[in-house]
Amino acid sequence: MYLQETLAKSPRWEAWMELIELFTGLFLLVFLQFHMLAVATIILGPAAFNRDALMLDEYYLSYIGIPLVILAIIVHGLVALRKAPWRYKEMAIFIQHSRRLAHLDTWAWFVQIITGMAVLILAAIHIWNTLSTWPIEAAKSAFRIQSGSFSNLFLLLLIAEIHAMVGLYRILVKWSWIHRQKFTKWLVYATIGFVALGFIALVVFYFLDVKGLT
Amino acid sequence: MSRFLNFSIFRYNPATPEIPPRMQDFQLDETPNMSLFIALNRLREEQDPSLMFDFVCRAAVCGSCAMLINGRPGLACKTLTQDLPDKITLMPLPVFKLVGDLSVDTGVWFRGLNENLEAWIHTDKPFDPQGLEDRMDNPTAHAIYDAERCIECGSCIAACATANMRADFIGAAGLNRVARFLIDPRDERQPYQVFEVVGTDEGVFGCIGLMACDDICPMEIPLQQQLALVRRKMALASLKGK
Ligand code: HEM
Ligand code: SF4
Ligand code: FES
Repeated sequence: MYLQETLAKSPRWEAWMELIELFTGLFLLVFLQFHMLAVATIILGPAAFNRDALMLDEYYLSYIGIPLVILAIIVHGLVALRKAPWRYKEMAIFIQHSRRLAHLDTWAWFVQIITGMAVLILAAIHIWNTLSTWPIEAAKSAFRIQSGSFSNLFLLLLIAEIHAMVGLYRILVKWSWIHRQKFTKWLVYATIGFVALGFIALVVFYFLDVKGLT
Repeated sequence: MSRFLNFSIFRYNPATPEIPPRMQDFQLDETPNMSLFIALNRLREEQDPSLMFDFVCRAAVCGSCAMLINGRPGLACKTLTQDLPDKITLMPLPVFKLVGDLSVDTGVWFRGLNENLEAWIHTDKPFDPQGLEDRMDNPTAHAIYDAERCIECGSCIAACATANMRADFIGAAGLNRVARFLIDPRDERQPYQVFEVVGTDEGVFGCIGLMACDDICPMEIPLQQQLALVRRKMALASLKGK
């Protein structure tokens, strides 16, 4: 028995941290994919895009959703990063181990830590840009994308989708009773699908006639 | 047809700490159906009698011959050289205490694990040595048997990044053992009682789902499913309380 460990022991909290990680991850995943679909309405034309943005605004979905997403990102980031190899020795062991083992799923965790931190930075810029020209309108978005944001947003799209879908993979691996081989393929297809959809939306924005809209 | 195999083998003897750990090269001609068991024994007989490694059953039963074969944990007696490239690197399993060269002590580790988990049936029923065994339905018996197939080779522990980084993590072999007793109707422990030991970061919530254990287990125990079962039961126990 060790005094400090016995006093500090609360397996319940260790379990709840895992559940918080699970539910914030799932919430962000659902948000991200819904957001991709909403943005993709630009493919149908600026009118459809503006109508959707207005609808989210009118029903106060934006005003509940955006603070909730920001909060979820902060909580999720803190909780999910608790197992990252922060100490130099842990990091060295992890990297050497992964190289020896040459095992895709082991590397995927490293990818998730890196992409998670990249999302944090890129999403902060993205949210800041959007909020500073509130409300959302097709013309403003098109202007931003045509004046230099294209590559940043494409990077965010790619990194966020990889992070989220690897996250979903890991959730299914950790919690479900289905064998990994059965769903890996579908997750890869879905990731490609969402990245392609986002990319098309970005291209449409890039070629949108801003002057004609305003 | 016959190849020359180039072995690069980890050498270190804790009894002679003045000689630092190093990799030593050996050459050997390949014979048909040669396993690493045969190769290592020939190396010891023909080239270096001081080479240390463990074998008992040579038939994937005892679990004593696990080592890192080209970086991946596996049973040396079950691995044929014909499935490997010309260059073969052998290292002892990480996480376990080194006895010397390729030999590690998995016994102390697994004994500690089993004591920690109290890996035996807990029941208040008095034991009747004359009585018939309790009946059990077939699917339950199969599920228990699936988990029981673990030979305690330690491959899943050595393959796990978390177990490599954190010495107190009980790993797939430990969680598989927990699953075995959670499934067994004769064990009267409730999930919340198991929870105190396993519902922690040293237990199932330390697992981040890297699945090297599942890919590498030489007994092909469905570790992904076993770990997920324990995780679901422990998460439920954390919400329910007692
Ligand atoms: C668009 C935003 C995000 C989405 C959709 C998302 C989604 C997910 C999902 C579904 C998981 C799996 C959860 C689990 O294994 O229980 C996960 C894990 C993870 N996330 Fe995120 N996440 C996002 C943002 C972030 C940010 C901003 C960070 C870091 C600052 C981050 C860091 C991590 C890490 C390190 C893991 C791995 C945790 C582990 O395996 O223990 N994520 N994410
Ligand atoms: S679960 Fe598989 S890899 Fe792990 S100790 Fe048992 S037999 Fe070896
Ligand atoms: S010698 Fe027994 S498992 Fe290899």
